[in-house]
Amino acid sequence: MTKNVIPIGPFHPLLEEAEYFKLTVDGETVTDIEVDIGYMHRGHEFISERKTFTQSIFLVERICGICSTSHPLAFVHAVEDVAQTEVPARAAYIRTLVGELERIHSHLLWLGLAGHFIGYDTLWMWAWKYRESVLDMFEVVSGNRNHYGIMRVGGVSRDVPADVIPGLVAVLDTVEGKMAMLAKAAADDPVLHSRLKGVGVLSRQAAVDACAVGPTARASGVAIDVRKDEPKDAYGWVDFKAIVLPNGDVYDKLVVRVLETFESIKIVRQCLDKLKTEPGPILNDVKEIPAGEGIGRHEAPRGEVFHYVRTDGSNRPIRHKVRAPSYVNIPTCAVSCKGIPLADALITLASVDPCYCCTERAIHVVDRRRRIRAVNLVELSRRKTERLRKEIHG
Amino acid sequence: MVDKNQFLEAMRNRIGSIIDKKGRLYFELADEQLSEVARYLFRTMGCRLSTATAMETYHGLEVLYHFSHDATGQYYCPRVIITDKNAPRVTSITPIVPGAEWIEREMAELWGIRFEGHPGPEKLLTRRHPGRLDRPLRLRRQP
Repeated sequence: MTKNVIPIGPFHPLLEEAEYFKLTVDGETVTDIEVDIGYMHRGHEFISERKTFTQSIFLVERICGICSTSHPLAFVHAVEDVAQTEVPARAAYIRTLVGELERIHSHLLWLGLAGHFIGYDTLWMWAWKYRESVLDMFEVVSGNRNHYGIMRVGGVSRDVPADVIPGLVAVLDTVEGKMAMLAKAAADDPVLHSRLKGVGVLSRQAAVDACAVGPTARASGVAIDVRKDEPKDAYGWVDFKAIVLPNGDVYDKLVVRVLETFESIKIVRQCLDKLKTEPGPILNDVKEIPAGEGIGRHEAPRGEVFHYVRTDGSNRPIRHKVRAPSYVNIPTCAVSCKGIPLADALITLASVDPCYCCTERAIHVVDRRRRIRAVNLVELSRRKTERLRKEIHG
Repeated sequence: MVDKNQFLEAMRNRIGSIIDKKGRLYFELADEQLSEVARYLFRTMGCRLSTATAMETYHGLEVLYHFSHDATGQYYCPRVIITDKNAPRVTSITPIVPGAEWIEREMAELWGIRFEGHPGPEKLLTRRHPGRLDRPLRLRRQP
């Protein structure tokens, strides 16, 4: 029997690194998926072992453009775990503020792209419009819209002055109002329900076996959240809920992210409120890092970022291990994509929240008569939504 | 729920020297004990494998697994030290913990460690590398 294979990648893939998905299809149904990574292996761990601890912060920040505070935060947690250093309370609030603003902008980015893939371009444009104002908040807080450069071992490098806080709260109010509107529109839409419910189901057991993290695991009923399990910085002092849903389909992954955005807004509000009055320094002077080993982690928008650092008493690590959340979440696609129609494969692959700059690349399908046809997966997915829309609304 | 003391009591005969820090438990063990300890951590205690770290030390290679017990925020890190520099090998835990598949393939490729019993031991990162690699990329010395 001829195997029909649809290649996605290796360049301009669905995921934030250049990757290669090979979907084996039988007619319209995906029967197998093979993932090939390594195209973006840049040797960060090796480079980091040749940099000082402060230089490494800027290096790990550049691992990912979207999670550009999660990696430095997990790294400074690891170094602080070696040195057993405490962080001043004001710095803890600033760290949590930046970490949660990142979650808001990342989830808005995902929401927009997910909307685009299934033919909701208005959602895409709105979500990205309001993401812009979150990036402007970053500029006020850190001086940069991306790659904030704010984390330091023992605290943060930049304070948030009291006079900028009312402006930040006003932006947050707008974003929250608009998010509520988007969430209600999504919850009320029957097309969205029939398009996403029961699609790409990842069972609880499969999520546990794959050691999945973040919204991918929480949408499958696995209650793990680093912010709750090992509360660092100000996470132990603010009030929020970890969102866990049971079904494991794409719809639940969407709802987890939308509800998490509201929780993040709640945390940011509490942090800004505290920063009005919390006195004190923002950086403890850490003179030396002793020999030892430490683990640091942070709940990034996509799940747990893990850093392991071993030191020998010098000013640089002798081993630095980095594990990003997508490394454990991507293998879950092998389970969730099997047996689903090709038109749903795109949104299922996208539901683990990879980052995609140029998805709309021509994909060549070799059909049974060995002709090569150019098929666009985004177009296929959008056509299915259009068909459902016609069926439901007439 | 099994806590740290119960774990240490249950695994008393299987593990060697221990470093106990706040929320982190690093312990050495022999390769023959790795499967049993991994099964206890993953199946009995419900730990999640965060990842694993391989590194080159003066004595040889070292593989350190990081199991996270999310209910308590405690990390359990079994460490296997490989002294055979010419043919380093460790028992694979992928048959017990499916989530270890990629990281074991990565360590095998970058550090030249053979994981006995791994179900799919092909390369992970340099499978389609155009050039011929003369040694595992992260090793400083020739094997």
